[in-house]
Amino acid sequence: MFGKRLIEYVIAFMALIILNFVMPRLMPGDPIDAIYGNELVALTPELREQLRAQYLLDQSIWSQFLHYLYSIASGDLGYSYAGKAPVIDIVAGALPWTILLVGTALFGAITIALFLGIESGWRRGERLDRYLFAIFSIINGIPGFFIGMILIIIFALNLKVLPAGGAITHYAGYTGSEYAIDVARHLILPATALCVSELSWIYLLMRGGIISVINEPFIKTGMLKGLDDRTIRYRYAARNALLPVFTRIGIQISQIVAGILIIEAVFTYPGIGYLLHDALLTRDLPLIQGILLIVTISVLAINFTMDILYPRIDPRIRHV
Amino acid sequence: MYKPLILRSRGATIGLTLIVLIFLIAAFAPFICWFDPWDYSSTPLQRPSSVHPLGTNAIGQDILSELMYGARTSLTFGLSVSAISLLLSVLIGVYAGISGGIIESILMRITDVAIAIPSIVVIILVAAYLQPNLFQLILILSLLSWQYGARTFYAQTLSLKQRGYISAARNFGAGNGYLTVKHLIPDLYPIMLAGFIIRARYAIFMEAGLAIIGIFDPTTKSLGLLMHHAMEFAYMGTWLWWLLPPGILLALTILGFSLVGYYFEETIDLRHRSMSSGRF
Repeated sequence: MFGKRLIEYVIAFMALIILNFVMPRLMPGDPIDAIYGNELVALTPELREQLRAQYLLDQSIWSQFLHYLYSIASGDLGYSYAGKAPVIDIVAGALPWTILLVGTALFGAITIALFLGIESGWRRGERLDRYLFAIFSIINGIPGFFIGMILIIIFALNLKVLPAGGAITHYAGYTGSEYAIDVARHLILPATALCVSELSWIYLLMRGGIISVINEPFIKTGMLKGLDDRTIRYRYAARNALLPVFTRIGIQISQIVAGILIIEAVFTYPGIGYLLHDALLTRDLPLIQGILLIVTISVLAINFTMDILYPRIDPRIRHV
Repeated sequence: MYKPLILRSRGATIGLTLIVLIFLIAAFAPFICWFDPWDYSSTPLQRPSSVHPLGTNAIGQDILSELMYGARTSLTFGLSVSAISLLLSVLIGVYAGISGGIIESILMRITDVAIAIPSIVVIILVAAYLQPNLFQLILILSLLSWQYGARTFYAQTLSLKQRGYISAARNFGAGNGYLTVKHLIPDLYPIMLAGFIIRARYAIFMEAGLAIIGIFDPTTKSLGLLMHHAMEFAYMGTWLWWLLPPGILLALTILGFSLVGYYFEETIDLRHRSMSSGRF
């Protein structure tokens, strides 16, 4: 089971590496022009020669590919001439902001969605459930970045209580707790936008999951045993209702990633997504490739972890 | 009086109404608008007036006309991607299911690998190099979103294959081609319809998302591009008539497709099958 899944992930990863390698070479003309041939870089003959030597372009395609694999494995993702730094350093500088934003937003989204989903599904048809269901069905139809734009307009442009973008106030020279407050203030709006848009689909799945197990015999048994209501809800029903949420995360991950990239672009939040947005704008292809490689590795790692965790959450699957 | 089943559900009725309304706006855009959305001869950044009900943008184009043409592009994009990727999923899923043997293994392994690849990465990478136009982008996105559906149709085909009437037809000498066209495909219509709606929703969302990150064909008018430009000028207080209308129209479109999608999901119980909900 794991062996097969692992092989799939390895093949998927190799497919993306090959695509990364092939794209510049498929473009008409010299790959150097495809990668660096925009107005940002003055391609002097010396620089061109240096790059040709660096990518082994005068040797066979196989030695080029092996060299490419070798450089990735050794953490060399190329050099961004627009950013005037190695790609790996630029990405490493942006990554903590993305982790902070995504971590905060997803932690909030999962906690709130599970709680509301369980309570709402358990009270199916009652007033609380009807309101929550209607509200989240509508929010689920609103793209996260539009929620973000509205938040910016309300809280940053009109009320002027929170910053419209960025992650820190530049040149303010904050230290210690002042710095932490500044970071938190910048985090509130993008994290809320991301949280709300992820919240809605997890809530809807969780509610559906609870409703589908509510009439199962094991719930009845629990009730007849005289277990307290909360134990049944959270230990019996919720555990089973969680399964579709877990399966769906694997399917949704590409969309979640897209959502994060877009939110960062809207809020000019200096993580991976905003970096990518900038790189696309300036067509900084080495940087684009590097970012996408990091994103791919993270997504594959997350999916693989989910595959390993799944049988622990749902022991039935071990016997299939 | 006869009332179609779908209109008995309130959510689905609202959803259908929304879709029809937006369809009408998109279809009749050239007849309703009195400005060419590409014509930049008006004064830039005007406030709403009787001539320009939603004002003009930074280069003097009429925003209302942009909005209606934008709905047109977004719908075209969504429906085309949905149709092409659905076709691919049905072809691959049903063919793998009915053929069995080596073809089945190869196709389903490819599908599994395709599911493992984060498609957003491939879209951005390819788009960064090719700078695709609208048509090419439709193809790219379609080629990258068939995999989940293929699994669903494969599983459906396998379960349909067990049914009595299929083996009866087979015993009468029906070949795979005949079985597929006469029995399997018609049985899959409801799932195909649900899949179409769910994918259309996903693709319309993707259009806007790609436009925001900056890889949508900048020569077109789309809801996402309109919002992208509007956001750059939001600080000037123009958001009320520039940013909100496309945002609301986009949200209503996605909501319309979701409501109809929920209805189908509930009716044919797709909940536990691996079909992307197209959420964004």
